Amino acid sequence: MSYFNNISNAISTLVDGMKVTMGYFVRPREHVTLQYPDEVWPVPSRNIGVGELDAYNTIRSKLTVNINDCIGCRACERACPVNCITIDAYKGGPEEDLGTTSNGTKIKLLVANFTIDMSECMYCDLCTPPCPEDCIVMTPDYQFISNDNLKTEVTPEERWRDRDLLIYQFSKVPEEERQRLKTEAEEAAQAKALAMAAKKAEAEKAAADKAAAEEAAIAEGVSSQTSPTQTESSPAQDVIITAHPANTEASMETANSVQDVTEAEELTQVNISMDTIAPGISLEDKTDLPESENISGEEEITRINIPMDTITASITQEEKVELPENENNSGEGEDSEDRTTEERENG
Amino acid sequence: MIQSLANWILSFDILSGLGSSLVWGLSLFIVAALIFVFVAVNAIVLVYVERKVSAFMQVRLGPMRVGKFGVLQTVADALKLLQKEDIIPEKADKVLFTIGPWTILVASVATFAAIPFSDTLLAANMNIGLFYVISISSIVVLGIVMAGWASNNKWSLYGAMRSAAQIISYEIPVGITLVAVVAVVGSLNLQTIIQSQGGVGNLFHWIPIPLPNWYIFHSPFLFLAAFVYMIGATAEINRTPFDIPESESELVAGFMTEFSGLRWALFFLSEYANATLVAFLVSIVFLGGWQSPFASYSGAQAALLVISLVAIMWTVFVKVKIGRLSMYPLGISILTTMAAWLFPGFAIWLASPGLFWIVLKAASIIFLLMWFRWTFPRLRVDQLMYVSWKVILPISLINLMGVAVWMWLSGEIQF
Ligand code: SF4
Ligand code: SF4
Repeated sequence: MSYFNNISNAISTLVDGMKVTMGYFVRPREHVTLQYPDEVWPVPSRNIGVGELDAYNTIRSKLTVNINDCIGCRACERACPVNCITIDAYKGGPEEDLGTTSNGTKIKLLVANFTIDMSECMYCDLCTPPCPEDCIVMTPDYQFISNDNLKTEVTPEERWRDRDLLIYQFSKVPEEERQRLKTEAEEAAQAKALAMAAKKAEAEKAAADKAAAEEAAIAEGVSSQTSPTQTESSPAQDVIITAHPANTEASMETANSVQDVTEAEELTQVNISMDTIAPGISLEDKTDLPESENISGEEEITRINIPMDTITASITQEEKVELPENENNSGEGEDSEDRTTEERENG
Repeated sequence: MIQSLANWILSFDILSGLGSSLVWGLSLFIVAALIFVFVAVNAIVLVYVERKVSAFMQVRLGPMRVGKFGVLQTVADALKLLQKEDIIPEKADKVLFTIGPWTILVASVATFAAIPFSDTLLAANMNIGLFYVISISSIVVLGIVMAGWASNNKWSLYGAMRSAAQIISYEIPVGITLVAVVAVVGSLNLQTIIQSQGGVGNLFHWIPIPLPNWYIFHSPFLFLAAFVYMIGATAEINRTPFDIPESESELVAGFMTEFSGLRWALFFLSEYANATLVAFLVSIVFLGGWQSPFASYSGAQAALLVISLVAIMWTVFVKVKIGRLSMYPLGISILTTMAAWLFPGFAIWLASPGLFWIVLKAASIIFLLMWFRWTFPRLRVDQLMYVSWKVILPISLINLMGVAVWMWLSGEIQF
């Protein structure tokens, strides 16, 4: 009997299914297809009740920068959690007039390079509030396909493989000028670093003299314990400011190694969490390396787990690292430390 | 048709100098080319229709961008397939790999030689037409096994073996079902089968509902046999829900896995040629082929009136109950009825047999096959065999005996 039940079950369920499909077939106008380039979804409003500015009530999409209003303060660059904004701003000459922004602020820095890596940007909108001139804003435009890209001269084949197309350059300074400013700044920074190093060597020599004098004093029965720590800590602090690949002074090397110790510790901590992803690499391999040389190894290990895009991005960032740092360092502890890491890798 | 074409060619004064055997060969070639063109164009149209039908059944739009409503989509696809690189795997059996797709194509195209499109439009009027069609279409399985074996790929081999098992199993119930019809007609000639279905009679001879004298309405057994044949034929042409030889989710593409470009296009061509063949065969054997469903022009008018009344009632019913419905079926039926009443010539044309009717019937069957395909889930291999050997085969055997008893009871045959 179950044999016939099976057959009648099969027939009735099949007929049920056919009814459903025919039901949809005879009313085809209810389709869910969106004919994309011709039709688009309406952009939803993001009205979360804060701020009256229109910019805050639209969806967070493509960023745009009104470069004429940008004063190169780099507030947006610092705010970005993924470091996808890169700004190089240079002091104009004293007689140069860079104009004013629409708010009336005088522009003091020439923004020679302002790139946003759109492939890294996560549209968090953290970069727009700090801008004092409100010139970096989110637009509701979410479509990254377009023919009038910023680099229209790229051939269609390159368009597919060239990821750089997603690094949007907003600065209007021409490419040669940007290169020239960059090399100039580099040279200046190098000279400055050399001067600093010479100064430091002198200071160290003075400290050594002092120590010798103190030893002599110890021999005489007078002891001082604070001074050696002072001599050690001072170069370690200086490193943050002056570390540069061009620097080959002996004193700098010692300073580097001091810095390396802290770096290596940090990196090991990172690796412990990474182990869950890359279990093949044992922890001992990393920690047993000699401290002063293990940086390159460490770096490689940590970077294994980072997606290719991030690596290339960080490389492009490293290449763009200039030395207006010396001006900014005083304010940005975290930022400059990142820089030193990257620079050492570069060297 | 070949002979009449040859006679027609010879009737021209300038061409009568050609030898009659040469002209006969030429006509043969022309007819073969016509059939092939029909199969190719048919596949292109059907692929488009299938994509649209599937899209509508799944609340999508289907191809929309190549040409108006995407009508040129399959043309573009065909051109792309022709341009593709012809790849033969290094370890494949090159000879079998090359002739496999052609075997399938030749088998499925050759069957159309016996299909009568109208009372005169027929390539070869054979007295064993049905037998010819069944036997030639079984060569397809040979091509599939060749392709699967030659690919040197486990998926292809699995697909080919499943296909062979499936086609051989389903050929038995399908053959027996057709034998039931042949028992009624007493002939294997497809033209005779169609000619014996003309006119209008009562449903099952006794129930007083006037219906065309088609074999599907001949007896309850043949009514069932039509559905059994549809199921078996769906399995034979490897269409969903019986598409386990090329089940995408299990076997990549089955026996077609290693094929690309032109050869793959040939598989596709023959797949749709087979579907069309089955549709034509169903309309010939069960639905009266090129016979009109109306006995006379007044009968056509009356029948269309009934049909549009039913359509109106159904539309009102659905509108009230569900609320959404396409108005096309209603509009078409009302328009046709009005045309039939206003223009007697149209009604007369409707009541006369012809190409239109067999194409309409075949198109409906193809739509039914598509409807199956986009509704039903695929069977498992064991379920497939279960359906074939334990369900369809007994039913078809009972059908055969039932038809004989029915004919004896209704006095169609005497002992
Ligand atoms: S939106 Fe967020 S991730 Fe994107 S650039 Fe601004 S701060 Fe960086
Ligand atoms: S915060 Fe505004 S003004 Fe400052 S660098 Fe960014 S875009 Fe320019």
